[in-house]
Amino acid sequence: MIIRENTRDSVSTITLAGTLDALSAPELQSFSENSALSPNVVLDLSDVDFLDSSGLRVIRGMALKKRESGGDVILACMNDDVRKVFNNTQLVRLFHIYDDLDAAVTYAETNKKSI
Amino acid sequence: MKFRIDTSTGPHVGIVTLSGRIDAENSIELQNSFMSWLLETSLFVFDCSDLDFIDSSGLGSIVSCLRKALEHNGDLRLAGMGPKVSMVFELTKAKKLFSIFPDTANAMQSFGKSEP
Amino acid sequence: MKTLIVIREKDCQWARAFFPDMHPFLLTICNKPYVEFLVDFSLLSGIRQIRLLSDGPLGEVEEYCENGSRWGAEISYASIQSGDDMQTVLAKNKRFCAEERCMIINGMVFINYGKQADYNAFIAAFPSGEILSCSCGSLMLTGNPSGTRNISPPYPFTLSCFDSPGLYYRLSSDILNDAVSPYVLPGYNNEPLCHIGRNVVIGKSAEIIKPVILGDNVQILGGAVVGPGAIIGSNVIIDRNSSVIHSVVIDHTYIGEQLEVEKKIVSGNMLIEPESGVSLAIEDPHLLTGIRKSGASLSFIQYAVQALAALFILVLLLIPFLFLFPVLKLRGKWMQHNEDCYADISGKILNLSVTAIERGGLFGSIAIFLSLDRFFQLFRVLAGQIAIIGSTPLRVSPENREHLKRMPGYRPGVFSYAEAEAWPVDHDDKAIIERFYTAHSALFQDILMTVKAFVNRIHEKSTP
Repeated sequence: MIIRENTRDSVSTITLAGTLDALSAPELQSFSENSALSPNVVLDLSDVDFLDSSGLRVIRGMALKKRESGGDVILACMNDDVRKVFNNTQLVRLFHIYDDLDAAVTYAETNKKSI
Repeated sequence: MKFRIDTSTGPHVGIVTLSGRIDAENSIELQNSFMSWLLETSLFVFDCSDLDFIDSSGLGSIVSCLRKALEHNGDLRLAGMGPKVSMVFELTKAKKLFSIFPDTANAMQSFGKSEP
Repeated sequence: MKTLIVIREKDCQWARAFFPDMHPFLLTICNKPYVEFLVDFSLLSGIRQIRLLSDGPLGEVEEYCENGSRWGAEISYASIQSGDDMQTVLAKNKRFCAEERCMIINGMVFINYGKQADYNAFIAAFPSGEILSCSCGSLMLTGNPSGTRNISPPYPFTLSCFDSPGLYYRLSSDILNDAVSPYVLPGYNNEPLCHIGRNVVIGKSAEIIKPVILGDNVQILGGAVVGPGAIIGSNVIIDRNSSVIHSVVIDHTYIGEQLEVEKKIVSGNMLIEPESGVSLAIEDPHLLTGIRKSGASLSFIQYAVQALAALFILVLLLIPFLFLFPVLKLRGKWMQHNEDCYADISGKILNLSVTAIERGGLFGSIAIFLSLDRFFQLFRVLAGQIAIIGSTPLRVSPENREHLKRMPGYRPGVFSYAEAEAWPVDHDDKAIIERFYTAHSALFQDILMTVKAFVNRIHEKSTP
């Protein structure tokens, strides 16, 4: 699992690549806990080739935590495999999902709550 | 299930008020009670306006009541059926066996006319 | 050009209420799923790339339509939130909509088109904005038209509302009664007003009267009268001496003997009067019932492996059980009661014995350590009633009945997938994990998960 973070238009964008499973999920968890991220975070999932329940849990956990402080996690560029996993667990209802990274960042930027 | 005799239109008509559900649980009870009501009269109106639901055993018991009433040279007429109950009567063709009236008053009058 | 089909849960709530077993996108109109009409219209407009959008689940739709190659289309799927306005919906699908114009079918609407027509030029020349609308939704275009042609009504197709059983019934019978059908309908058709599906069995004395549409695997028994004006879905049985006239019978329905169905919609055990919208669930299975698809049941191999695993654990636990059960029972630490649980997604009920062993004491600890509380349930695996690993059995309650509808792969198990995962689980997490694994369950992974569950339970219990 490769985790890269950069900030575009003051929105933290986390790009994930590879497998997000029980082995790599804690990585993402500690990454999100230990980085100074903007309130709205965009997760770019275009290069995730496998996702399991552990991965889902971590992503969900990140979103719930962000929401506590008025932010959110926005998902971008899900490929078909990832989308199916989200669909099966009906977790899709929880997230704003964009098929384009720029559009997701624009949303994250404009829907900032002033803190 | 409530039963009373009404003579307002002339003949002694037994009015049976059905309410709630008639299903396997109480259809036998209906048939048994009907036997005792038959001792008082053979003309009946079943008021179905408070009846919410009927299943096939309930339907069967009402048809058997009709048969017994006919055997005693009487009749059993139905009144005030709601749309759901009516659908079950329609589906099972039981509707064709009965004279059906919009309400109890109409059903009473029908007895008044046929047996002055 | 591309097509976006946006149908929200609120648009199709009525369809879910009257046809709970069918995804609203797949609701059949004259045996053709609704979404196929929209795909056809899109193709007639020269559009091959179609994206289906909803704020509800689309799994069943995806299972049916797949990638759309069967129609020569490319179908993709995406989720939106119920509060999203059209602008947000377009932003969420920016990549899909980029560069090309988009036709947007918004809401549960029916487009009255003609199968011989070609709307390519019309759509291409239409300026951006709304083409047609009704109270249920609209048909719109984005982007700039090619060329400048003045287009004025009447348009070559119309839009109608599709939001009640009455409209559904009228739409179905209008299509059925049209001698030159403007739509391609499923089934064999060599004379007007008559379509017959595959594997249809018609009893000797049965009568079929045009106009009529029969789906696949339809059985019509002796003395039955079907039609005029009957639309019979697939996998339908119409028993002896019953008649179905001017009615719609949805897929997977059994119609009992000696019944008369006239001007009705029948879906499983639901009887609907189209105009008034009055519906009634018939409780007598010999009158009307749904015929279940045997989707979630286990294959023989799966059953054999599950049974072997259960037998293995039973043998393993037999000696400790024989020793500990009487001891704990005598001390009143072995508490057992029966509970009604759902056996599958159809809502069938299974009576399951549930054991609770009181913690504390050496014997109690050992019994819990060995998962002896699940001992009796293992026999149910041998009987093929539950799986060795699956979902946590859902207790029968109106609330859980609702949950069940959203758990397509539900299969109760002695151990649950949630137990196999090492995390302490709250209710929502449990649901996520179980849905994930029921969707991805595989034979040997199941065995592995069983072992994990067994071991994890030990772990969980030894650290109270």
